Amino acid sequence: MDNDFLLIEKVSKIFETGQDVRVVGLVELSLSIGRGEFVVVSGPSGSGKTTLLNIVGGLDDATKGRVVLDGLEITGLRERKLAALRRDHIGFIFQAYNLIPVLTARENISYVMQLQNRAKGEIEERVEEIASKLGIQELLDKLPNQMSGGQQQRVAVARAVASKPQLILADEPTANLDSKTASSLMDMMQKLNEEEGITIIFSSHDPLVISKAKHSIVLRDGVVVENVFP
Amino acid sequence: MIPWKLVLKNIRGYRKRSVVTVVLSAITTALLVFSSAIMDGSHNTMIKNAVEIYPGYMQITHRDFRDTPGYENLIFDLDSLRRSLANIPDIAAYGARFETYVLYSTEARSVGGMLTGIEPRAEKQLSRMASSLYEGEYLDDEDGAVVYIGFELAKRLKVGIGDELAFIGNGADYSMAADVVTVKGTFRTGLFDFDASAAFMNKRYLDEVMVSRNMATHVIVLPANVEDCGKIEDRINQEVGGDNVAESWFRTMASLVQAMKLDSVFGYITLGIIFIVIFFVIMIYTLLTVYARVREVGVMRAIGTTPWGIFVMLVSESVLLSLVGVLLGGLLGACVAYYFYLNPMEFAGYEEQFKQYNMVATAIPADFAPLVIARDMLIMFVLCVCSTLYPILRLNRYRPMDAIRHV
Repeated sequence: MDNDFLLIEKVSKIFETGQDVRVVGLVELSLSIGRGEFVVVSGPSGSGKTTLLNIVGGLDDATKGRVVLDGLEITGLRERKLAALRRDHIGFIFQAYNLIPVLTARENISYVMQLQNRAKGEIEERVEEIASKLGIQELLDKLPNQMSGGQQQRVAVARAVASKPQLILADEPTANLDSKTASSLMDMMQKLNEEEGITIIFSSHDPLVISKAKHSIVLRDGVVVENVFP
Repeated sequence: MIPWKLVLKNIRGYRKRSVVTVVLSAITTALLVFSSAIMDGSHNTMIKNAVEIYPGYMQITHRDFRDTPGYENLIFDLDSLRRSLANIPDIAAYGARFETYVLYSTEARSVGGMLTGIEPRAEKQLSRMASSLYEGEYLDDEDGAVVYIGFELAKRLKVGIGDELAFIGNGADYSMAADVVTVKGTFRTGLFDFDASAAFMNKRYLDEVMVSRNMATHVIVLPANVEDCGKIEDRINQEVGGDNVAESWFRTMASLVQAMKLDSVFGYITLGIIFIVIFFVIMIYTLLTVYARVREVGVMRAIGTTPWGIFVMLVSESVLLSLVGVLLGGLLGACVAYYFYLNPMEFAGYEEQFKQYNMVATAIPADFAPLVIARDMLIMFVLCVCSTLYPILRLNRYRPMDAIRHV
C-alpha cells in the first residue's frame, strides 16, 4: 500500500467570521493516509471533521500547512486546477445528498463523466454497471424529488464513484438516514472500497460508521487525539 | 464542458423563472418594437403630409432661387430641362410650376395671395392638390381662364364655383399682368394658411398672361422610389448641371428634418429611461433566481465544474430565454405594428394640434419596417443578456463550500 497517497502536513485553519472574531478549525494537523484505505474521521461537533475534508478536497483553503494528494500539492492551486482535480480524482458525498435537482439519477451519475468528455457508450456502460452494483437500477430515471433520502444518498454515492476517482470524501453521509439504510449504505461503500480500490474518507460521529473503519482518526478542537491504523 | 442538456433541463426545471424571464423580455421587446413603429410612423406621416401636400419630394430650381426668389432667378430653358429629365431613369413623374404673388379681387374685397401655374395632369402625381378637391372640379391641361382656389381664400373673397375674380400681378418681364378668371374648383388641404392664400391655374394659360413661356420657378420631380431621392438628386444634378439645381425634400425642408430628429431624440431618451428600468428589473429578478441556486452551483463546482463552465451554463440559459422572449415579443410587436400599419390609429379631435406638425390627417399609421424591428429585437436581446451578467458573475465568485453552505 502507498502510505503517502494523502499527506497532510501541519495544516491549520482559522475562520474569520467577523471583526476580531476568529474561530480555530484545525491546529497544525498532520496525517498520512494510504491508497485504498477506508478511513473514518470522527469527533464531536466543531472538532474540525468537515473542515479537514473540505481542505483535502480543495473546497476550502488552509490558513497554513500543505496537503499533497498522490504527489501533487493541492494547497495554493488556482480554482480552475482545483476544479479539474476534483473532477478527475475526487468524489464527494454530502450529508444533504446534493443531487442536481433537474437531472434524473442517471444524469446525475453520468454528470462528472460528461465533464470529463468520456464517450457516450462508456458513460452508459459505467452508469449501468455502478447502478447494478448499488442496486439502484429502478431509480435511474427518477428525479431527486421522486426519491427518498436513502435512495438519493445511494445515487449520490453512485455519482461519486462512477468516474472512478482515486479518493472519495464523504461528509457525514449517514446523518440523515435511518440506521438500517445507513448500515446498508456503509456495506455498499465497503464493497466499493474493496472492489474498486478507491480510498474513502468519512467524517462521522455515528458509532455504526466508526465501527466499519479500518483506519480511525479522532479529532477534538482541531487536533488529532487518536489515530488508529488497521 | 457543461452538457447542453443540462442548460435545457434547467430551463424546463425552473419553469417559473423561465416563464417570468421570457414574459418580461417578450413584453419589453413588443413595447419597443411597437413604440418605434408608432414613432417612425408619425414621422413618416409628417413627412408625407409636408412633402406631398404641395412641395413635392424633389424640386429643381435656379441655383439662386432659394436665396433670392425672383424673376431674375427662374428656370429659363424649361424645354431643355425637360429633355434632360426624360433621359434619367427612375423618375416616375415631373411637372413645372410658375409660382407668383398677385392681388385677387372680387366685388366684395381684395386679398393678396399665391398664384401658381401648374401642369394639371402631372401635378396629380406630384402633390395632393387634385385629391384635396373640396367643391367643383380640379384643373385639366386644356383649361384656360379658370382657377382652382383654396377653400379659405374663396371664403375670404366671397366667391363660389362659377364666380369670377380678377387678379393683378407682375409678369416675368416685369410688365403688369392681369386677368379675370372663373372659379372652377376649391380645395381644402387642412393647412389653414395654405388654403387661405393659394390658387392654381393651368400653366400653359398662365404663361400667356405672365409672359413666362418656357420658364418655371420650380420643376417638381417624383422619383419612382421615394427612398432613392438622394441618388436621383445626384443624377439630376449631373445631368442638368449649370444654372439649375435639384434638391430633395430633406434639403428643401431641412427644418422639418431637424424637428423630426429632435423628436426622435426625445423619443429615444424616453425609451432609454424605460430600458434602464427594464435592465434593472431583469437584473434584480435574475439576481433573485440565481441566488436561489447558489447551493446547486456550489455542488456543481465541488464535483468538478469550473467557474467558466458555470458561467457558460448560466449565460446559455439567459441567452436562450432572452432569445425566446425577444422572438416572441418581436413577433407580437411586429403583428401589432402591422395591424396599425394597415389600420391607422385615429386621433379624432386633435386636428389643431396635428396641424402644428404639418399633419393634416388624424389617422397615424404605424411604420412596418422589418429592418427596424430586427434592430429593436437585437437591442432588447443584448440588453436582456447583459442585465443577467452581473448576477451570474457575482454568483460565480462564491467559493464552492461557501456556496454549498449558503442559506
